[in-house]
Formats: sequence, structure tokens, C-alpha cells
Amino acid sequence: MTSNKKAAGSIGMAIIAIVALVVGLAAGYGIAVMTGGAAPTTAVAPEKKVYSIGFTLPLSGELSSIGKIWEKVIQLAMEDLNKEVQACGLNVEFRAVVLDDGTSEEKALQNVQSFVQQGIKVVIGPAASAQVKAVKAYADSNKIVIVSPSSTAPTLAIPGDYIFRTVGSDAGQAKALATLAYQEGARKIVVFHRNDEYGRAFAEFFERYFGEMGGATIKLPYQTGLSDYASEVATLASKVQSEGADAVVLIAFDTDGANILSHAAESAVLSGIRWFVSEGPHGAEELLSPTIGRFASKVRLFGTRPLFIANPLYEDFKKRMIQRFGIEPGVFSENLYDAVKLAGWAILRAGTYDGEAIRAALIEVAKTYYGPSGWTIFDSAGDKAQQDYGVWAIVLGGPKGYQFKDVGLYERGSIVFLEQAYP
Amino acid sequence: MGFDVMGFMVSWLTLFGIYAILSLTLNLESGTAGITNFGKALFYGIGAYVSATLTTYLILMSNGVDINETPPYDIRGIILLGELGNKNPLLNIGFTALSLVVAFAVAGLIGYLLTYPILRVGPAFVGFTLLSAGELLRIFLQHYEPVGASKGLMAIPTPFSWIAEGRVRELAYLGLVMGLVALTYLAVHRLVNSPLGRTLRAIRDDEIAALCLGKHVPRTKATILFIGSGFAGVAGVLLAYYLTSVNPNMFMPLVTFNVWAMIILGGFGNLRGSLLGAAIITFVDRALTFVTPQLGVAVISPDYLRWVVVGLLIVVVLLVNPKGLLPEGPIKTPALDVINEELRDDSK
Amino acid sequence: MIPGLQQALMNTVQYALFYLIFSIPLTLSYRTTKVINFAHANFITYGAYVAIFLHGIAGLDMMSVAAVLAFLVTGSMAVLNNLLVFAPLQKRGSSPAIVMISSMGLWIAYKYLLYMITDVAHHYTGRNFVSYGRITYSDVPRGVIGGIGFSQALVASLIATTISMVLLYLLLEKTKIGRAMRAVADNPWLAEISGVPRSLVVNLMWFICGGMVGAGGVVWTSFSGAITPEAGDSMILQVFTVGFIGGLVSLMRTGMGAALIAAIENVGIAMLNAYFGVPVSFRPFLTFATLIITLIAFPPLGAGGGLPYRFLRRGRK
Repeated sequence: MTSNKKAAGSIGMAIIAIVALVVGLAAGYGIAVMTGGAAPTTAVAPEKKVYSIGFTLPLSGELSSIGKIWEKVIQLAMEDLNKEVQACGLNVEFRAVVLDDGTSEEKALQNVQSFVQQGIKVVIGPAASAQVKAVKAYADSNKIVIVSPSSTAPTLAIPGDYIFRTVGSDAGQAKALATLAYQEGARKIVVFHRNDEYGRAFAEFFERYFGEMGGATIKLPYQTGLSDYASEVATLASKVQSEGADAVVLIAFDTDGANILSHAAESAVLSGIRWFVSEGPHGAEELLSPTIGRFASKVRLFGTRPLFIANPLYEDFKKRMIQRFGIEPGVFSENLYDAVKLAGWAILRAGTYDGEAIRAALIEVAKTYYGPSGWTIFDSAGDKAQQDYGVWAIVLGGPKGYQFKDVGLYERGSIVFLEQAYP
Repeated sequence: MGFDVMGFMVSWLTLFGIYAILSLTLNLESGTAGITNFGKALFYGIGAYVSATLTTYLILMSNGVDINETPPYDIRGIILLGELGNKNPLLNIGFTALSLVVAFAVAGLIGYLLTYPILRVGPAFVGFTLLSAGELLRIFLQHYEPVGASKGLMAIPTPFSWIAEGRVRELAYLGLVMGLVALTYLAVHRLVNSPLGRTLRAIRDDEIAALCLGKHVPRTKATILFIGSGFAGVAGVLLAYYLTSVNPNMFMPLVTFNVWAMIILGGFGNLRGSLLGAAIITFVDRALTFVTPQLGVAVISPDYLRWVVVGLLIVVVLLVNPKGLLPEGPIKTPALDVINEELRDDSK
Repeated sequence: MIPGLQQALMNTVQYALFYLIFSIPLTLSYRTTKVINFAHANFITYGAYVAIFLHGIAGLDMMSVAAVLAFLVTGSMAVLNNLLVFAPLQKRGSSPAIVMISSMGLWIAYKYLLYMITDVAHHYTGRNFVSYGRITYSDVPRGVIGGIGFSQALVASLIATTISMVLLYLLLEKTKIGRAMRAVADNPWLAEISGVPRSLVVNLMWFICGGMVGAGGVVWTSFSGAITPEAGDSMILQVFTVGFIGGLVSLMRTGMGAALIAAIENVGIAMLNAYFGVPVSFRPFLTFATLIITLIAFPPLGAGGGLPYRFLRRGRK
């Protein structure tokens, strides 16, 4: 008898605890509003229609550096979108619903499911190709439009589905990177790449293109999600030495990329060859440390990234980001910005808040939209049809001592340098 | 946009069902038999991969596709799976049934085999040994090409993909999951509420005494691990069909610890407690995703709050009631009824 | 001789030092309290972030200051954990598994709390703290001696680990408090009856263990290229592995475990890769394989050991 009472009592206590937490959260919401957080719509204007756009961002985990930058990009993009819509005389407002997916596949899927349950039909994100893969089937069967601004794996170029990507696939970037390496004189390359969807696909395509140009490639995959890569870098060094390679191509995200470059800086072997990097680490502040900065100029480090060449809208976007938030828009920021705009206009053009209609509208809107990432027209697989690539370097200067600088571009099969990065 | 209550319930209950199977089996192993199993994710992953591999390869092969040319992890294979996946209902359901049986057998067998090292290392290290075994498998899968290596497998044809209506499909799947939960519950319930159950508790509380009383501890542990791991494999199959893709990163140790939190919360040794714990944790996680984005983007990303809340919730509930929410009850065998009867007669 | 062997050996030494300073406190804390503490990962991360915030916000790049501060911060965290969570649970007779799960809850909460703190820091300084680059310290020497390059991280970890190991040894062997700690570890009840202030000793032990790990975290910032609030998490399994090789009771064996695992992770994988073409991404596999082989081949007998089932006669019911 007493044990039953105790059981009831403890269940009661647990329920009270949970209720208290929810009340606490509500109080926290109130406080957040009062301390100047993004205030909810307090417009008293007649019947403003509010549309929600879901965002699943890597705010923790391996892509968290980029994720934090994207949070700000989204803020800017949503404001611009709402302003434009107002200027057109439409009584509509767009609202962002942001969830963290920790760069994990399972959480990305759960986030998409939560969005569906909240009635949201358009989701921007997830960031990693492995995550997009995990949400694809659910999105297709529930008719949810997914727009990823950064998933670049060629294996996801599948036509007729609900996945759209406002960035070109790595098949194109691998070609640009191979051209860059070959033009800079490399003939035997060790490709040090992430052992995941993104890294392996990129490495395969790089091997193909570099081979076509006449160079030799050796692939060296490394395990992702580790705390430190010192021993992998040591193996890389010994591989470079034993194979007599003259360059390393690094295909990484930001945290592992910074870790690897820092350790490479300590290796005499690795500091004596050329280094070429994919777009993953671009924009991440941890690469601007003095160790990596010095290393970059020693090995004349160049990287490629998706970039629409000579785009005044991009320059303007960059300036506004620095002005407003004091941060440089890292890689894919402009693709994200355009994704937001496209999503908003597609919702309006569709007329109804329905997945199928929005999907059709998105394709149409993208045909005539030009933004900081250039022309956004989609190809048959729902990926960005026209993608240019730029070359970046880490140079002296800027408020933190070192900064990222776009120094060249990939045009018609060869690399053109617009300025000298390293003396 | 309204709040889709039905959709929320369906997706929450499906996830709850999968975790319920895991919690029930973990409570059997660790709560009742005292085998501290930190490697639940191992058997979970085995089940998921078995079903993923079987289903994708068999669907392709039965449609006459040459799997050496277009393996299911290749992009052409993925497109083909998408097209062929919902052609033949009989094939889908048949392969599902096959996967369930094979996954149970394989996962159970591996659990059985792992009993040997567990017995050798002693009770304090059982957990970590199993966890290491899990990690070994995970890293191996990340390099094994035929199962997609680090890319994993996707576009797995689900048992009910031939149903056109999305909601009906989800409900059918929920039915399958709930059916298997009921099956697991029955099996575990019968095991625990029996003389075997008493033996398990004896082993948990004092292994040496049980040994001295003549209980064959190694064989008992092996049997329990076989059954527990087998059902965990079944849960893995359900997960694979639910997510329609598998990836080695889905079976990290964190998954196991999540399940541990559920059984501790709900009540160590109490089967209904495992259900309660699984329900609470999956619900809170889901419910919070509705609350946190509403807090607006202030200085702090509000979604971080979600995890701080989850962590603190576990700590708070444990402080309030360390034995979990539901206490461990007596073992309900016919003998108990007889004893209760006697007690009632005596007290009259 | 495989190329790059020298670098691999240097890395082995470096990693052995890190594993020592992270796992010896773990073994010590488990031995004294029988608590498997997942929040241990947070000690590493919070220690690292003390250095990061000092560097990023105050522009301070002196490792000595950072290390002392980190010691105090993580030490207090550990004591707080004990006072608020572990001790109350243990007093009510909770099983070790329950205390372990509560430490898991703490681990999650602390981790995301740190993410929130980085957000606030970012708001006030405009710098990104979610992923921070390697810190170059002004008060740690570096150089080349006899052809071997001594990086800042190596010098710092040599100093830090040596000092902490020596101090710990002196504490445990030569002082009364140290003996009291060992008494509490071996038999808490007897110790209490003999007049040892048990809770004070336990809290002091947590303070020292937590603090040591935090100081190690500071040294970590000079080695790793990118530190995030999840930096401790990826290390924690290896740290536990090293601890388990030591049986979680023997400090000596833990030290050997640290050296062994460091060697396998650096030299071992390099050799396997050079001679057998084993991919480098197999490195974590080796760590766990070592653990299982060690545990199975040399099962720790006694209190934590396996029952001699080989003596069980077959044919019994």
C-alpha cells in the first residue's frame, strides 16, 4: 500500500517538475522578449498573413563555426525578404523557425519531422550531404520542400525529388581544384579527405579529373569526428615522403581542417610542399590563427570555393554582413541568403501553402532570380545549374591579423589569378 | 498553419515504440540480470544494417538488376530503389519479415558470443567491453564497401511503401511497431516473472551467492543476452525502415546512454517503468522542439536551451527519486499468488 | 625504418603526456568514489575554454595564469557536482549506474551551457568562440634541441604533467591528507570510523582531480588546431580506455596504459599503414581492439575482476 502511494507521489513530483520546467521556459521567453530579443509580431495591422520557414542548422558539432555565421545570414535574409515583400504592397510576413541539428543525420531528420508537425512545408538546410541523404525519403513522401545551401555531394543529384540545392555539386569543384593544382605545377598529389559522403565523392571526382590532365593521385581518407588529428597528419607526412608527392589536397570541414593545418605546420615535410584546400574550411575563424597564417604563406596555400564571379550583389552582401554583424560571410553564406529569398518568393508565387505547389513555384522563381550567389536557375536534378568557382588564400591583414581573400577564379578550363596572394 | 496533432502523435509513438523495445530489453539485461550493457547500440546497429542490406540488395536482385554493376549505395542504385521500391507489396512485406527474423538471429547470436569475454573481464568492465565491441563494429562498417562504407545505405524500401496515402502508410507502420513492442513486452514479462526471473535478480544482487546455490550463471547470462540482443536487433530493423537510411554514425555510444537514461528514469527493474521512461524522454525531446524556436533569436541560440533542459531534467528527476519513477515490484509467479493468499489468510 | 617515424614517436610522447594528465585523475576519482563520471569530458573542455576566453576577450596569453585559473574553475565544478548531485544520490544508496546516468545529465547540460556562454561572448566581442584556433602562448618556450623540435605544446605538457604527477605522488604518499584519501578509497566505513573526515576528503579529491584535468585542458589549447565545446567528448572514450587498462584502480597501470595507447595510436597505425596499407581512418579501431584484448587477455582479478569460471565444473545443472 505504502509503495503504491510512494509511486504515485513520485510520479506526481515528476509531473510537477516537468510542468515547472515548461513554466520556466515560458518565463524565459518573456524575459527574452523584454531584453530585446527578436520581438514577436506585435503589428496591429489588419490580418497580416504569416508564413513560417523552417531552418535546420549545425549550431553544434563539426560544422558549428559555419552554422553560427549562418544564423546571422538568416537574420539578414529574413529582414530583407520581409522588407521587399512590404515594398511590393503585400500584407505578408515571413518567420524563421530555427532548430539545431548538431551536424548529425538523425537529429536533422527529427528536426524536419518537427517542422512537419508544426505545419511547415519549406525547410532550409541541412548543411551536410550525409544529413540531406537522411531526410530525403521523408521529405519526398511527405512533400516537404528541402533547400540545402551547402550540400555538394554529386551522389545526391537526383531528378524529380523534393531536394533542391542552391549550390553546384562538387563534380564541378573537383575539376576546378584539379585544374588549380595542375596549373600550379603539381603532378603527384596525396588527397587527404574526410571519410564521409562529401569527402569521398570529392576525392573520387578529383582523382578522375586530375588523372585526365595527366597527374597521379593517392587517396588517404581520415576518420571524421575525432578530437585531434596529429597521428593522421603524421601518417600523411610519411606518405608524402615515401611517395615523393609534391602537393597535398585537403578536403575537410572547418574544425578538422583547422586542426590538420595546425599540425601540418609543425611538420618539415608537409611545410615543404604545396597545399590545396576545398571550400569546407573557408570563412572559419580558427584558420586565421598565426600558426596557420604563417603556414599558408609558406606553402602558398590556395583553395577553391563556389563563387559567382564579379558579382556586385555579393560585394554588397559582404559589406552589409561586416557592417551589421562584424563577421565575414563564410562559404555558402550567399547560397543560404538566396535560398531564403527563393523560398519566400516561391511560397508567395505558389498561392497556397502546399508542398507540391511550392516545389513547382520554386523552380519557376529560380529561373529569373539573380542574387549574391549569381543566377539561381536549377538544373534537372534540382541543383544549381551554373556554378562558378573562385580561388581563395589566407593573407596578412584584417582585424584579426590574417584574413581570407578571393584571389582568382576558374574560367573556361583554367585558373586566372586576379592578384598576388603571397609574395 | 495549424498544429498537426495527429502527425505529432504518430511520429512520436513510432519513435517511442522503437525506444520502448530497446528499454525493455536493456531493463531485462541490466535492471534484472545485472549485466551492465553499454553496448546496446551494437545490436541495434546490427539489426538496422542487416535489414538495410537484405532489403536493398534483394529488391534489386529480384528485379533483375545486376548488383555488381549498380550496387544499392551507388547513385544509380539509389534511383532504381526509389522506382522499384513500391512495385510489389508482397516483396516488401516478405523482405521485412525476413529481415526481422534474420536480424533477431544475427544480433542474438552475437550477443550470445559476447558472453564469453564478458564473463572473463568481470562485472565492473562488462559495460565498457560491450561498448568497445560496438565501436569496433561501427568503425568496421565505416570502411566496409558493400554496405556503403561511410556513406551508408539509403532509399531503403519500407514495408508499406506501396500504400499511396502518406498518413495511412504511417499508421500501418505504427501498427507494426506497436505489435512488436507488445511481443517484446510479453516475452520479457514472461521471462522476468518466472523462476528464471528470480535467478536473474539473484545474479544481479550477488553473483557469487547465486553461483554457490548452484545456478549456472554463465548459461543464464548467455541466454539473457541472446534474447535481449535479438530484440534490440528487431528495434534496429524498425529504425532502418523508419529513417529509410542507415549510416554508421547513427549507432554511437550516445544512443546507448540515451536508453540507459530512459530505464533509470522510469524505474530500474520495472518493465512498465521502461515504457514510461522511454515515453517521457522521447516526448520531452519532441515537445521542446516546438518551444525553443518560439523564443526568438536573441543573443543566445535558443535551441541550446533544449539540451540544457534535457540534461537538467535527468539530474533533477534522479535527485527527486533515485530509484526511478516506478519502483521495482515483486516477481509475479504463481508462487507469489499462493504466498499472498497465505498472508491474507493469516491476517484475517 | 618507415618514414616519419620520428614524428610518430614525438606524437606518442605528446599524447602519452596528455592521456596521463587526463586519465590519472579519472582513475583516482573512480577509485575513491566508485563513480563513473561523464562530466569528466566537461572538465577538459571548460579548462580549455578558460584559456580561450582569457585569450579572446582579455587578450591574455600567459599559460601559467590560464592554467591556475582553469584549475580553480574546473576544480570547483567538480566539487559542486559532488555536493549537489553525487553525494546526495550516494547517501540515499543509489546504485553506481544511477550516479553514472546523473553524471551523463550533467555532461549534456554543461556542454550546451558552454555553447550558450560562447554565444554571449560572441555578442560582446564579435569573435567566434564556438570553434577557436590554436593559441600561441607568450610564456612557454619552444625550440630545437639536438635536432628534435620542441613545440610549445610539448614543453607545456612536459612541465604540466611532470609537476602534477610529482605533486600527486607526494600528496598521496607523504601527506596525511593523501593517506586519508587512500583510506577512503580502500574502505570508506573503516576510514570514517577511524576519524577521517570523509566528505571533506572526498570533496578535496574531486577538487584536485577536476582541477588537474582543467589545467590539462589549457595545455590542450596549445596543441589542437580547433577547440569546440565538444572537444572533451571525442577524447573521453580514449581517456576511459586508458583508465580501464589500469583497471580503474591502479595508477601505475593507468600510466602504462597511457603510454601504450599513445604508442599504438601513433606508431602502431603508422606502421600498419606503411606495411599493410591499413587506412589511417582505422585508428580508433586499434584503440578499442587494444582495450578488449587487454581486458580479455589480462582480466583484472580481485574486486574488479572476473570470477574464475574456468573452475566451474561442466555437467552441473
